[in-house]
Amino acid sequence: MWKYVARRALASIPVLLLASVLIFLLVREFGADPARQRCQASRDPQCIVRVRAQLELDRPVPVQYLDEMKSFVTGDWGNSLRSDRSVSELIRDAMAETVPLAFWAVVVSLVLAVLVGVTSARHPGSVRDHSFTVLAFAGIAMPTFWLGLLVIQAFTYELQKRLGLSEPIFYSIPNPVSSGMVDSFRELALPVFVLSVQLVAGWSRYQRAALADELHGDHIRTARAKGLSERRVVWKHGMRSSSTSLVTVVAIDAGALIGGVVVTERVFSRPGMGTLLLAALRDGDTAVLIPWMLVAGVAVILANLFADVLYAVLDPRVRLVSGSPS
Amino acid sequence: MRHHRRGRRAARWLAVGVAVAAFGASVPAAGASARHQGSAPGGVLRLSAQEEPYCADWIASCAGLSWGNWALGVHTLPQAFRVTPAGEYVPGPVLAGAPTLSAGPPVTITYPINPDAVWSDGAPITSKDFEYTWKQIVNGKDIYDTTGYTAISAIDTTDPKTAVVTFSEPFAGWRDLFGGFYYILPSHLLEGENRHKAMKDGYAFSGGPWMLEGGAKGWDKGRSITLVPNPKYWGTQPKIGKVVFQFIPESAAEAQALKTGQVSAAYPIPQTGILDEFDQAGLQYQVGSGNTYEAFWLNNEAFPLDSPVVRQALLYATDRQAIVDQIIKPAAREGRVLQSFVVPSFPAYFTPAFAGYTHDLKKVDELMSGDGWAKGSDGIWAKNGKKAAFQITTTAGSEGRELAEQLWQSQLKQAGFDLEIKNASADLLFGRLVPRGRFGAGLYAQVGTPDPGLCVVFCSKNIPTKANGFVGQNYTRTASPAIDASWTAADREIDATEREASVKQGQTALAEDASSIPLYQLPTLFVWDPKKIAGPLQDNVTEGPFFNMEQWSLK
Repeated sequence: MWKYVARRALASIPVLLLASVLIFLLVREFGADPARQRCQASRDPQCIVRVRAQLELDRPVPVQYLDEMKSFVTGDWGNSLRSDRSVSELIRDAMAETVPLAFWAVVVSLVLAVLVGVTSARHPGSVRDHSFTVLAFAGIAMPTFWLGLLVIQAFTYELQKRLGLSEPIFYSIPNPVSSGMVDSFRELALPVFVLSVQLVAGWSRYQRAALADELHGDHIRTARAKGLSERRVVWKHGMRSSSTSLVTVVAIDAGALIGGVVVTERVFSRPGMGTLLLAALRDGDTAVLIPWMLVAGVAVILANLFADVLYAVLDPRVRLVSGSPS
Repeated sequence: MRHHRRGRRAARWLAVGVAVAAFGASVPAAGASARHQGSAPGGVLRLSAQEEPYCADWIASCAGLSWGNWALGVHTLPQAFRVTPAGEYVPGPVLAGAPTLSAGPPVTITYPINPDAVWSDGAPITSKDFEYTWKQIVNGKDIYDTTGYTAISAIDTTDPKTAVVTFSEPFAGWRDLFGGFYYILPSHLLEGENRHKAMKDGYAFSGGPWMLEGGAKGWDKGRSITLVPNPKYWGTQPKIGKVVFQFIPESAAEAQALKTGQVSAAYPIPQTGILDEFDQAGLQYQVGSGNTYEAFWLNNEAFPLDSPVVRQALLYATDRQAIVDQIIKPAAREGRVLQSFVVPSFPAYFTPAFAGYTHDLKKVDELMSGDGWAKGSDGIWAKNGKKAAFQITTTAGSEGRELAEQLWQSQLKQAGFDLEIKNASADLLFGRLVPRGRFGAGLYAQVGTPDPGLCVVFCSKNIPTKANGFVGQNYTRTASPAIDASWTAADREIDATEREASVKQGQTALAEDASSIPLYQLPTLFVWDPKKIAGPLQDNVTEGPFFNMEQWSLK
């Protein structure tokens, strides 16, 4: 298995390198000029000249790229071209914001998606099944940005007004003057909810389809014939084999999750990886963009690897051999 | 079986009930909160900042963001001059009185330093601090703006409480020195140190009414800036125990945070319908005209805009009030046409030089015919086989600007001009197209400053060219001897009355040349919750609406 993991990891390196070259060239060619960004309101025309020299932006673009990659590989990620802050610090701080958000969104989504999917699969064609189907499609179709604003309006302002409270039950922005579990929950609840809606909607459909197929399988018929309770039949025998397709989707959605995080963090003013990406794009800050992309890329690759390994655990018929699971 | 189900349901609801009760315990009712805040001395005030400063080394190029000054700079460091809400320069609390100017030659300015003025560690603020700041600006590597400081030849520090600044050449904007977007820095703490490293992420020292809580730790990157009173401040002591500026970049989220009381004041960009929302939520606000203004900037080197007559005709063809009514009024409920490139927020220098250009199609015909143009069968003016056609570019995706372009396109078509809209990303527009002159007309903003020097944007010596690496800021390629003369004089004249005259002449020259078309000042909106804050609450377009926070109190 470890050989397989190592091979997959090595195979990802050229993809990451190609992506980093493309991003660097696109941002340098069509993106903001960091020197102009820094000097945009300065009356001093020499500001741009000084900044270009200071940031060594007057060197050929390939040299700049190679330098940034060299810094990344050697662990010295340098400083942001806009704020002069250490890039490793920026990414570390942003990860500290994003990881809890993404973690709870995945946990909540998985639990809800499995519950909804199992309920629908056990009662196909029922009112509950149809209701979940309608809600799932609504969830998939709803833009995250719009949903975020709607949720803020409903669960902060309207709820507070109706209950006559001096402050909202759920926060729409981080609260820097308080701490503790309750406040953390009040701060994370709405972003997690918004980030989870599309995930639950999508994952529950996969879970429903996979389990509905499984429930017609021979091994389920055998389990029922042995007199096992329906709950045991569904949750032990049905779920184990049907969960491989959900695992696949969850792993694939690791990339999509980053997209959702970008929007959600913006709406809820959370200074995570999404906010960092938007700022770096706005400022043409390749010193942040390249490490950001590589870190996010590695996270997605790890999620996919994890999914591959999980296949083997969930389904003993799968063996990890060279290239891909078989 | 049914009994079991009921039992499970009850358990579920019990869990929900416990959760709600936990919230109930942690969320006070409206009245309770107000009483608590009223009785507690000090207290915490949460404010919204739409942008986070990039760094706090105010003289480095990583600073230069207005929000940095508004949320941190003006509260923590001294300035020789402050700018009032009326746009007037007044000596800052660090000075014992107004500086005296000696015309020389050489020109000298004597700054009397307040004998009570001290840094937060108790060390006095001295003339050495003026000298240190000047030397850092002229000798530093990555400096944002050296304008004016390079004209200083020496600073006499013989008297610690008097800084005598000698100039090698006159610098008319001298009141922006040791002020504006810069501050006086503590030499006793920074001399011999790496200033940039010591300041960029926040600093523990202060020479203002507030200081960062716990030094650099008071700036929680990405989240907030927390200020506490500077106990050594010699002026008005703050009445509030702690002020937290929270970074909320999204306008809709900021409005909700205000309405729900998560923040008590904000300075948002006005949006259509937002004032109604604030009215319903019982918030108070002040709408004003900012020092940022928008204009149709004309490339004076591109056909047909290279002709002053065509540019004048365009001014008569443009119904600027109609554009203001469509763009500004829906968000700010009021709006007026800007009649100069100096904003009226700074009344000493403003003259409505463009007021004579009213929407007048007869005048357009008169000017164009007189210049040898004739309308073709398509209704578009043409001369020597070339049509009066050009492109306009603005930042793609900017709803208001795109609407303004469409309105202008329609107005110009009626007047016989063919305007094509071709927008670009902000990066492309400001990074390449505008500096390299690859545009016909552009719609974008310019920031006005209390000091009215406009040579940087209109003098021919500042036209960006390949030879100078495209670093000049005269993007319109304006080249007029009258404009050069007036604005160069305005930059050198230190006599206040004569300078005012030069500035007004400069505005008239710009109007006569019809270099570009001023449209409107962008509105400002200062919103606060009157149930939570009291004090002299007033917008200040230069220093931001929080400039006098030390006089505020919590209700």
